Amino acid sequence: MAQKLSSKNLIVIVYTLATALVLFLLVTILFQYYAALGSWNQVFAAMGNSRILSALWLSITSSIATTIVALIFGIPLAYVFATKQLRGKVVFETLVVDVPQTFPPIADGMIFLLMLGPTSPFHVNLTFTFAALVIAKFFIAAPFVVSTVARRFRDIQTSGIPLTARSLGANPFQVFTTLFLPMSATDIAAGATLCWSRAMGELGGSLIFAGVIPFKTEVLPTFIALDGKTLTAEALAATILGTTASIIALVSFKMITARKNHL
Amino acid sequence: MNGLSIQHLVAGYNEHVVIHDLSLEVGKKETLVLMGPSGSGKTTLLLSILGIVHPQKGSIRLNGDDLGPLPLEQRNIGYLPQDYGLFSHLTVSGNIAYGLRIRGVSPEQQNIIVEKMLALVQLEGQSDRRIQELSGGQKQRVGLARALAIEPKLLLLDEPLSNIDQMTKRDVATHLKLLFAKLDIPIILVTHNHEDALFLSEKLAILIKGVIEQFGTVKDIIKNPKTPVIKRLLMPFAE
Repeated sequence: MAQKLSSKNLIVIVYTLATALVLFLLVTILFQYYAALGSWNQVFAAMGNSRILSALWLSITSSIATTIVALIFGIPLAYVFATKQLRGKVVFETLVVDVPQTFPPIADGMIFLLMLGPTSPFHVNLTFTFAALVIAKFFIAAPFVVSTVARRFRDIQTSGIPLTARSLGANPFQVFTTLFLPMSATDIAAGATLCWSRAMGELGGSLIFAGVIPFKTEVLPTFIALDGKTLTAEALAATILGTTASIIALVSFKMITARKNHL
Repeated sequence: MNGLSIQHLVAGYNEHVVIHDLSLEVGKKETLVLMGPSGSGKTTLLLSILGIVHPQKGSIRLNGDDLGPLPLEQRNIGYLPQDYGLFSHLTVSGNIAYGLRIRGVSPEQQNIIVEKMLALVQLEGQSDRRIQELSGGQKQRVGLARALAIEPKLLLLDEPLSNIDQMTKRDVATHLKLLFAKLDIPIILVTHNHEDALFLSEKLAILIKGVIEQFGTVKDIIKNPKTPVIKRLLMPFAE
């Protein structure tokens, strides 16, 4: 009886904690829409503000550019991580995949400013440009492509499928193009979606390295960072636009690719 | 010689030697079952023949040609791994035609060969099915058809019956045996299961700690097991 009770209590505790976390996350995500209800006319009008629309456009396009570059470089790196036994690979993988995702937000902007700014040792100055936006976003977001795709590539590599394909006459490049890539299509798309969403939300590097020049390098996060404190309808409109775009992208992707991957 | 000839093979991983001075010959139309306990070197031997593990000493020849300098994709060896290694994004016919497509065989010729292979493994009419829809036995037959479609000079099978449920195992094994009889190439089948070995083999090699401890027909080995370990491996037959 006592065992039954303690087991029941445990389940109640587990569900309570789980519910509390879900509520906290969902309420935080949805609160912006609730906040907008009171001043909907102003918020809706602000969404037509040309500066916000430009920031939205620059956010979307720079994030798409970031994602394309991340796919071009990230898929080969994921393949190397998944298939090659290299000395010190764990440390190397941690440095290039995990560390960028945990960098303090402003730190990468500072580094890019020093590395590719007016005093660059490489004699290039990319500050306050669209390229600066893409580079700043790429540093934070590209690891999502690498980690998501490498996970799938590892499953394929350990399955013995590449060995079978090579016994059938495929060279390593053919194994990569005819098996690794098509068998990982869903995961590549998942990595791209995560990368794009993370790039949409990137702030530190954009703020410091690309600057906040309206109609040139101003993106939604930097607009919110500078105007958010005043709690204007414009800041709320920018917040809603940025987060809603990411929510739609991620939820749609999850729904479309709900099917299970098979090896 | 026609067939597979392995002479004084020493192979392993870096300094860890797994195969010790192993010599073995399998002629055309011969089926050799390689049996041994876990860690005896069965997989390492298969990987050496495939070209994944590089021999430290000795030679592997197929129909007189030295396989040593050839990369895996140029050895023309049909290989069926334990889990069949099927490509889940392709259909049955897509899997069977894979090696042909890689070799640049025309689509028309691919279709002809795929149909022929489907008939050989008794899977006629299944060409458009998805891999996920197949039973374990059907998957095994697709893997075999795919391995045979490239007209290999040697067929290697790694534990082909280990993923088949007991209910259908005898049917699948019978089909496998009938199929082997139709092939004109050497076949090596690896198993740790004595029942499979007895049913499928013409010749049996017992591999223990990287050395072939005994080689011969199943009947002879059962009658005169050379060591107590071999006797234990084959105990159900010896009693």
